[in-house]
Amino acid sequence: MTKKATSPKRAREQGEAAHEHKPGRCLEILQRLSAYIDDELASNVCEEIRRHLGACPNCEVFVESLRHTVTLCRHRPTPTLSPADRQTLRENILRAARAQARL
Amino acid sequence: MSTQPSKNPRDQASRATGDQRSQFDRIYRDHVDLIYRYANRLCGETEAAKDLVQETFLNAYRGFKDFRGDARISTWLYTIASRACLRMRRKKKGEPERELSLEEFVPTSEGEFRLQIPVDGLSPEEAFQNKELRQALDQAIEKLPKKYRMVLVLRDMEGLSAKEVGTVMGLNERAVKSRLHRARLFVRRELSARGITDGQSEESRATTPTSGGSYR
Repeated sequence: MTKKATSPKRAREQGEAAHEHKPGRCLEILQRLSAYIDDELASNVCEEIRRHLGACPNCEVFVESLRHTVTLCRHRPTPTLSPADRQTLRENILRAARAQARL
Repeated sequence: MSTQPSKNPRDQASRATGDQRSQFDRIYRDHVDLIYRYANRLCGETEAAKDLVQETFLNAYRGFKDFRGDARISTWLYTIASRACLRMRRKKKGEPERELSLEEFVPTSEGEFRLQIPVDGLSPEEAFQNKELRQALDQAIEKLPKKYRMVLVLRDMEGLSAKEVGTVMGLNERAVKSRLHRARLFVRRELSARGITDGQSEESRATTPTSGGSYR
């Protein structure tokens, strides 16, 4: 991930060169962020990532936005089936099963 | 009176059908809400979800004799539903599934790092009172290629472990985690690209606390 840039075009042109960390470090961090959020990494790797996040505001903002995304997915509202639909579906399934058994 | 089971083939067939029917009724009663929820999360709309539920339980009805009982019934049904969903989609379009690469999710401008959505200080339930946010999330998930969407739905919405998702989708855990990560990054980017306003209605603003409650 690139550090602050004045425009998207300039950021793309500058790429990793604009970042104070060694090239590719932010991408390495990005690759592990789900495992980091899910607490699946060894403690020394977590510590390494935490140190990077402390030094790289953009990565820190990014990981928070990913965490929010996962939280939203986990709480996404879902409609439920009405008792009438539950009954209708059951009848449709049994009718289709009988029809197939006759073939 | 004889207590011997009837040797009449018609009686045996009838008893077998009765057994199959009572097994079906038990499975349907206990799992239809689970599979409808999964189908709805996968399809994003009610009628397609109902079609998928029917297809799933019809296949389960026919295949129950082959169920070996070495997996949970819910895992077995998730597997049938996932396969049926992939088949239904192929019948509809037949377009190839797009692969997502990590590089495409690297932000290239300042605004892409954060979510441009009002979630700070809100619980998820409060955040979802914003209709624009609900729609943005639904659309982001709908835009995901199916094989990534399935992993995201099974892991982050249905709450299956990576191992269970692997069983359902015929993948190893490493592949599940890789797809999950790309799916999350995709949804994050879609949400980040949308400028969602604080679109709460007057009614919800009146009942929703604006502070307290951390967004976690």
